[in-house]
Amino acid sequence: MKFTSRQFGDIDYQETHEFQFPDGIIGFEHLRKFLIIDDEDSQPFRWLVSLEDPNLSFPMIPPSIVVPDYAPVLPTGGTVFAVAVLNEPIEQSTVNLRAPVMIDTVTREGRQVVLEQDRYSLQHPLFAPPAGVGGA
Amino acid sequence: MLILTRKTGEEITIGENVTVRVIAVQEGQVKLGIEAPKELKIYRGEIYELIQQQNMKATQISKSSVAKAAGLLSGSNLRSKKGGPGTG
Repeated sequence: MKFTSRQFGDIDYQETHEFQFPDGIIGFEHLRKFLIIDDEDSQPFRWLVSLEDPNLSFPMIPPSIVVPDYAPVLPTGGTVFAVAVLNEPIEQSTVNLRAPVMIDTVTREGRQVVLEQDRYSLQHPLFAPPAGVGGA
Repeated sequence: MLILTRKTGEEITIGENVTVRVIAVQEGQVKLGIEAPKELKIYRGEIYELIQQQNMKATQISKSSVAKAAGLLSGSNLRSKKGGPGTG
C-alpha cells in the first residue's frame, strides 16, 4: 500500500500495519485509520499518522519517559502514548497525560482515552523544570 | 437552547436511550447521573475542548521540532542556563 504524508513523504506499508481507531481521535472523530511511524530522528517520539488525511500526524511519546511512575487506571491493556504539544520556546512544550492514546498491537486497535481521575494533567511539562526554580 | 428546570431526583430523557438525573445540588454544584449507551462518549465539556485544542496543536508540529525535543530529552535532563527566567 502507498500513502503520501505531508510530514513523511511517500510511505510504503502493509495493510497489516494499520491501526483502526473506531472512535477516531478527539477533535478528529472522522479519522479511523492510522500508521505509527518510528522515525529515527524523532525517537523516543512516535508519530501517529492519519492514512485518511495527509496533513494530519500527531507526535506522541511514551508517558513513562516524562513521568516514570505514570500508572493511570486504564480500561484496556496495551501500549500507552501521550500526545505531545511542542511549543516555542521548546522548553514550554507539554504532553497530554490526561488523555492517553492506547494502542493494542494484537487487535490493531487504538483509542484516545480520557481519564476520569484528574491526577494527570492535560498539559504536563515535557521537560522537568530546572532545579531551583519552583513550578507555577 | 432548550432550558428546563429540574429538582433533585428528577430526570430528563434525550432520545430513546439517554437519561440524565439530577442526583444532588449543593453550593453551586450539580451532581448528575447519566445513563447512555456505551458507544456514546460523554466528557466534561471543558476537558473535551482542551483535548481537542491540544490535538489540533499537535498536528501543527514539524518533524524538526520533534527532533529538537528528542535531542533535548536525550541530553539527559534539560539543562537551563543559570539565571534563567523565574528568578528575581
